[in-house]
Amino acid sequence: MAEQPRFPLREPVDFVIIGSGSAGGILARELSVAGFTVVVLEQGRYRRTHEFTHDELAIAFHDEYLGGQRGGDPQSFRHDAGEAAAVPEIPPAYYARMVGGSSVHFSANFWRLRPVDFKERSLLGGIENADLADWPLDYEELEPYYTRVDWEIGVSGAPGPFDPPRSRPYPLPPMPNKSSGVLLEKGARELGLHPQVAPVAILSQPFNNRASCVHCGFCMGFGCEMGAKSSTLVTMIPQAEATGRCEIRPQSTVHRIETDARGRASEVLYYDAGGQEQAQRAKAVIVAANGAETPRLLLMSASGRFPDGLANGSGLVGRNLMFNAHSSTYAWFEQPLNDYKSVQCSRIVHDFYESDPKRGFYGGGAIDARPFLSASPMLYALTGLPPDTPRWGAGFKRDLAYGFTRSMMLAASTTSLAMDRNNITLDPELKDRYGRPAMRVTYNDHPHDLAMATFLQDWAERIVAAAGAEKIWRKPVGPETIGAHLLGTCRMGDDPARAVVDRYHRSHEIPNLFICDGSSMVTSGRGQPTMTIMALAFRAAEHIGEFARRGEI
Amino acid sequence: MASGPRQRQAGAMSRRAFLQASGGAAGGAWLALQAPAVLAAAQAAVAARAAGQPFRHLGAAEARGLEAVTARIIPSDETPGAREMEVVYFIDQAVGGFMAAEADTLRQGMASLDALAVETGGRPFADLPPGAQDALLPQVEDTSFFSVLHFLTVAGAFALPTYGGNRDHLGWQLIGFEHRHAWAPPFGHYDAEAMGQELPASGHGKSHDHG
Ligand SMILES: Cc1cc2nc3c(=O)[nH]c(=O)nc-3n(C[C@H](O)[C@H](O)[C@H](O)COP(=O)(O)OP(=O)(O)OC[C@H]3O[C@@H](n4cnc5c(N)ncnc54)[C@H](O)[C@@H]3O)c2cc1C
Ligand code: SF4
Repeated sequence: MAEQPRFPLREPVDFVIIGSGSAGGILARELSVAGFTVVVLEQGRYRRTHEFTHDELAIAFHDEYLGGQRGGDPQSFRHDAGEAAAVPEIPPAYYARMVGGSSVHFSANFWRLRPVDFKERSLLGGIENADLADWPLDYEELEPYYTRVDWEIGVSGAPGPFDPPRSRPYPLPPMPNKSSGVLLEKGARELGLHPQVAPVAILSQPFNNRASCVHCGFCMGFGCEMGAKSSTLVTMIPQAEATGRCEIRPQSTVHRIETDARGRASEVLYYDAGGQEQAQRAKAVIVAANGAETPRLLLMSASGRFPDGLANGSGLVGRNLMFNAHSSTYAWFEQPLNDYKSVQCSRIVHDFYESDPKRGFYGGGAIDARPFLSASPMLYALTGLPPDTPRWGAGFKRDLAYGFTRSMMLAASTTSLAMDRNNITLDPELKDRYGRPAMRVTYNDHPHDLAMATFLQDWAERIVAAAGAEKIWRKPVGPETIGAHLLGTCRMGDDPARAVVDRYHRSHEIPNLFICDGSSMVTSGRGQPTMTIMALAFRAAEHIGEFARRGEI
Repeated sequence: MASGPRQRQAGAMSRRAFLQASGGAAGGAWLALQAPAVLAAAQAAVAARAAGQPFRHLGAAEARGLEAVTARIIPSDETPGAREMEVVYFIDQAVGGFMAAEADTLRQGMASLDALAVETGGRPFADLPPGAQDALLPQVEDTSFFSVLHFLTVAGAFALPTYGGNRDHLGWQLIGFEHRHAWAPPFGHYDAEAMGQELPASGHGKSHDHG
């Protein structure tokens, strides 16, 4: 690996990128490979693959990758603006603070959007209390970048019956089917549905000098010790560093983007590992801090010239937060599935992707088979047992012993409608350890989203029943209180009054400020946004590089 | 740490309430406790126990009482329970480390439970027969004492043995979890069947601990 450069703070680099996650890692690699100098400011630590463990207590319970006790950075939550926000145990905007961001600990379910996702507003018309909008681009325009994601980072899968067109096949064959996948197939086929391979950003075979998955099972929420999960930590970031033009600066918590007399972004202020304030100058700034932290930072950067926050002429910074809604259906089968082994999902049902007016509500979604929290012993023992299991004693022990190897879950994930009432704002009282205003999350799913989640749960129950489950139970569907998909808060669009960034991720107000991450998404898709976030990042990097070369920044 | 007036201490009751309420797939119940685990201390505890040393943070009577409750949560019958899993050593660690904020809840709760046991059965909880113990627990089941202890029992049974519990992987063996670095298909009965294979008999015996 090339020696990492250390860029001087007072001389402007070509780009400062804030955040090194799914989008930031790609932007850093693309722009440094294209010849630009890049400093990536990442608040989290730089953990290497060999540091990842199966320590469930530390990772799932002590929030090791979330910064441990939220990194001294509490978030508050409320369901609507009329309520007082409180700080829940688990941060409502749930993401990993580390080099590679949430791509390190994600489950790697990896779906493309489909043509319909980009233009539902035109196709379906408006929806009450929601701000459904078309994207400023379509599937055809994004397709080459989806294909780049497939081949650059390594994705395993096989085409399904409803897939959108693709210009190249999957680079890697599907992962082996799990018992949960076999049972989903069985039940779904019986009901006339079309189960298909679940594509994942995980290597089923060695690829680009990386080893393949060894099915350890400590996947969702954990970092992959093999480097087989295609995070930007093991794919893009080493390649960025190898250019000698990209410096990854971990433990650098940005608190402000400064603008100059001309109203252009000029430097980025951050606290370094020792808590000292630093400032990095840049010719252009790209914010890729995710759909929750990006709007927080823009709002925190308010100034006399930009009193409502940077790039916020539309008033939409932080608005239209979308989590994707969910429902969970659990089942026990007679024989052991041992679904704690290997990756989360191997099969999926996509028959309900399109919105169907006959249902009486907007929405689409998918049903996948997985162990979910029953993939690891503590979470299973605390959350994975049926509601009629006693909490202690012989009955508790009996069910504990019986269910772990025999359980699976059907997870349904759905569209979330964009709504003004769901948003990221600055908490007026609460501060973090640096004195920055804490993030306040306000979220209450649209009734159509909950109706869709319930609709899919009804199907999920039918599927596991048809597969021969001996016991089935459902978690009641209700408004989400935690989101791991943080979308829509700086949406893209051509109209500066109705969008924060343009179709090339340039902010409508500040020509050298770009925003590219989950916040850019105009609609939520049906559940797994990260492949789209990565495709957008490849596309954005190409355009931003062009602008820079042509002197248009 | 600058945390606002509204930031609550992590309380086991609200964790439990959260668990019961959580239905979201993303949401998942990634419970958050309030401080980082002190793994080094835990390892010292494992060494101390191996050397036959007593508890580091709990008094002997306290430990006996708490252990007796854990043994009703996961009782020993034809298979090992919380007692054989040595959950109480995990708890000893936890109250000296990441659960320090709940130590008083445990101590006071145990003292009340013992008082109740003496009042109704004439002896501290640990000295009552199992049937009498089981008859008392419903009276404390809704307290934060019981919630904390329930959580610690589960954690002590199923967390990595380096934290002091899950002795000889007895917790993992109970549920049929084998900790291996790598697996190969078939993983379970149904995928084996689909491949036309038999699922290799799973040795619920010892496996490597990869920390
Ligand atoms: C447990 C879990 C499972 C998931 N599973 C899936 C899945 O199966 N499929 C799927 O599609 N998605 C999944 N997701 C979601 C996925 O991880 C995110 O959609 C994706 O990583 C978002 O990419 P991003 O670039 O927008 O942000 P991130 O990947 O979150 O990156 C943002 C980075 O910016 C850094 N940052 C933030 N603020 C600052 C600041 N002020 N200064 C410096 N740095 C900052 C953060 O520390 C972080 O590293 C999952 C998420 C979780 C938590
Ligand atoms: S299951 Fe595979 S991809 Fe997931 S963490 Fe284990 S080895 Fe890595």
